[in-house]
Amino acid sequence: MGLLELFRPKSAPRRAEARRAELFDDDFQKKLESLAIVSRRVFGGRMRADRRSKKKGSGVEFADHRDYTAGDDFRSVDWSVYQRFGKLLVRLYEEEEDLSIYFIVDSSSSMAFGDAKKFDQARRLAAALAYVGLANLDRVTIVGATDAVSARMPATRGKGRIFKVFEFLSELQPGGTTDLGDAMKTFVAQHKRRGLAVLISDLYDPAGFERGINTLRFNKFEPFVLHVVDHKEARPELKGDVRLYDCETGEEREVTVTDSLLDDMARAFDDYKHSIERFCTSRQVPYFAADVGIPFDELVLRVFRRGGFLR
Amino acid sequence: MGLAGLPLATLFGIFAAAGALVVVFYILKLRRRAVPVPFSRIWDSVLRDKQATELFSKLRRVLSLLLQLALLALLVLALGDPKPKEDLREGRHLVLLLDASASMKAVDVKPTRLAQAKAEAEKLVRGLGASDRAIVVQMGSVPTPRSSMSGDQTELLQAIAQVTPSDTRADLEAGLAFGRDSLRGLPHGELVVIGDGAYGDAASLASLSERVNLEGAEPRFVPVGKTGKNLSISEFSVRRYPLDKSRYEVMLEIANLNDAPADVELELSGDGVVVDVTRLKLGPKETLPRYYQDLAGASRTLTARIKAAPGTDDLPADDVAYALLPERRRARILVVSAGNTYLEASLLLDEYLDVSQIQPGAALPDGKFDVAIFDGVAPALGDRIGAALYLNPPAEGSPVPVSTAIEDFGFDTWERKSPVLRFMSMGDIQVAKGHSFKVTPADKVLGASDHGPILVSGARDGHRFVALGFDPRDSDLVLRIAWPLFVLNTINAFIEEDTGYVSSYRTGDVWHIAVPGSLNTVNLLEPSGSKHAVPVSDGRAVFRGEQAGFYKLTGGADDAPLGEFAANLSDLEESRILPQKELVLAGKKAGAVAVAPVSLKSDVWIYLLLAVIGVSVIEWITYHRRVTV
Repeated sequence: MGLLELFRPKSAPRRAEARRAELFDDDFQKKLESLAIVSRRVFGGRMRADRRSKKKGSGVEFADHRDYTAGDDFRSVDWSVYQRFGKLLVRLYEEEEDLSIYFIVDSSSSMAFGDAKKFDQARRLAAALAYVGLANLDRVTIVGATDAVSARMPATRGKGRIFKVFEFLSELQPGGTTDLGDAMKTFVAQHKRRGLAVLISDLYDPAGFERGINTLRFNKFEPFVLHVVDHKEARPELKGDVRLYDCETGEEREVTVTDSLLDDMARAFDDYKHSIERFCTSRQVPYFAADVGIPFDELVLRVFRRGGFLR
Repeated sequence: MGLAGLPLATLFGIFAAAGALVVVFYILKLRRRAVPVPFSRIWDSVLRDKQATELFSKLRRVLSLLLQLALLALLVLALGDPKPKEDLREGRHLVLLLDASASMKAVDVKPTRLAQAKAEAEKLVRGLGASDRAIVVQMGSVPTPRSSMSGDQTELLQAIAQVTPSDTRADLEAGLAFGRDSLRGLPHGELVVIGDGAYGDAASLASLSERVNLEGAEPRFVPVGKTGKNLSISEFSVRRYPLDKSRYEVMLEIANLNDAPADVELELSGDGVVVDVTRLKLGPKETLPRYYQDLAGASRTLTARIKAAPGTDDLPADDVAYALLPERRRARILVVSAGNTYLEASLLLDEYLDVSQIQPGAALPDGKFDVAIFDGVAPALGDRIGAALYLNPPAEGSPVPVSTAIEDFGFDTWERKSPVLRFMSMGDIQVAKGHSFKVTPADKVLGASDHGPILVSGARDGHRFVALGFDPRDSDLVLRIAWPLFVLNTINAFIEEDTGYVSSYRTGDVWHIAVPGSLNTVNLLEPSGSKHAVPVSDGRAVFRGEQAGFYKLTGGADDAPLGEFAANLSDLEESRILPQKELVLAGKKAGAVAVAPVSLKSDVWIYLLLAVIGVSVIEWITYHRRVTV
């Protein structure tokens, strides 16, 4: 490589390649390819895929009977039932269809607090899981959420579209306040097709983290909470008299930070995290804490597997 | 409690200004640093729990301010120099006259009287009140201040340590005058004499008491000493015989100042070698003179020492005396004369004269001459001639202008104390003819007739001279015994080797020691070994010596030896060392020194500063442990 190469502007494919390289290396991608997302519920899908759908169709697994109507294929008439009961019934089979997975990435200011490790972690997680979904021919949609849906990548499928995912995530900018309740209302209104909604957020919602999750639940989405946690926020490196202000709302508090106060703060942080975990567990919403202190590959390959998120 | 430093109103002003500054800084300190947090609701939950202790937090913050204000208050109060009311009275001013005379070397109290006096002085200094001031003065032959008027104990104690004993009499009158002058204008002055009180007999003390005016200063006396037994050598002298300078005689005087008879062993040493030991018996209060006559030998230094039975002599300082024999050397004499039998005959009387005679106008022989005698001539003096005796000098060349010729005259007046005319009677000398002189103010007329000066001494261009205004052969002077005495006296006066040689000086006096050459300063090596420069005035080194023993003079470019002399106490009054328990000064009995009524430890500001340090430490600890923040 000549010296001028260093100063030459990179072309768009090269930039995308660079961003991709930042997020995953090739070894990591190969590991992810062998994983598949497990869905505990069956969703309807427009295209055939590896998962069962509620639609009755030309699958191989029996689902139900219905009365014969004119025009039905004779091959689907259950002649055994006709012989026993004298009624023409048509056999219905479950059809295996593709799954819709929505990655809802919190892009509020709090995610970029400090050195933006939480936001990077969230984007990497979204990219990794999206890659797994794409590899399994699932329909993957990614949205950025603050107090509304700030950005949206339309549904896409196939491993070859992963670069589009990388590009979208790379261009996603943090900023704004968090209101997951309003943001999820917008989300469910925009996406009629139900599916797995993976919420990747620090859940610092002044209006309460419950509203956003409940909105998904009540609109038949299957929420999956990935709680991005930075333990440095539990015990910040502060001493003495300070004026604290919220990086999103700007609310101020005058505090004299002492060791005991920091201890109390660490306890309150843990309480908040446990309250989220309790909420999710009680409502059968899968919950995973993604600590930014844990190396990314270890988080994906071990923590997710241990939690049953990946097959 | 009152303030000895800044007044209260000023302190309030300082505290108000500095306090305002502290409060401003405190408020500035409370302006908090803005720090972002990702989610303030979590902090809210923590701070909600803390609200119950918010009042205590505020109190803690106020405590920090209060601590700082307390520090400031302590510092400002220290500026006021608070003291107990008893200490706020006007302090005393003490002049501590520490007797350092020879009698203070007495050992009747151990180790010496002076050591005990210094201990008493130290006791007084340590007992000074906070507002008292004192000055330490060494009282010897002259009063010597060893410190300034100060309340600093360290300075005063160092000054006391510097006091050294001398071999002189204490000049009480000078000491009191010095003390009185030091106390002039100062309140509550006290003159404290610390010594043995042996300052002369009752009559002289009474006379001194009348003479001294202390100008309101209170006399105090701290007596030192227990007994006063003493034997002393009160006189010690040696001289050469005037007409036989190869021989000498020694005179000494021993005094028994005790009320009981005493046996004394007298030891005489020459150049450190014992030459005579004599046992003597002295009666009570007896003074015994001893003469050693017609001595001859090469001894240069003479030392006399007495030894007495234990318990009969408390003062060793006056048990030894020193003397130095005048050095004999051959003087080179140049005689310029056409022939003068009387002159030649007189020069033959002293075998230590090396005489060279030349005719007028002849060339000078080699070498330098101590004295030149010009008989009827007055040539110019070169560097090779030290001094000159002119006999009937002609008008041209005479060191003193020659006036009119005179006839049939004699010495109507003459300087009897002049060394030139020592042992001579000039009244009946008859002179046939001669000249009188026109003297200058610098010249000294040694003899004169009614017509004017006929015998003059003086100096021209560094050369001393004596001029006689007539030819001795024109008078009956040459037939008299006065003639050879005149010639030899003049030569001796020129070469500083006359019979009036001082074999020893007396300590405490100002000495005028003849110095050869034309030096401005010489170096003096004292018996103690210390060496220092001494100024020379009119050919004599001027110095006040306080130590008995042998002194050496050196000087010139190569610091060559210039001479040696001895010094002795030789003071019978100082040898009377009976200590006095009372002292009457200025008609008033000197009382004891009052002990300061208040402890020295009344410098409250020191404790205030210590409190400041203590509070600072507390503030530092509480700050860093986040107690007061």
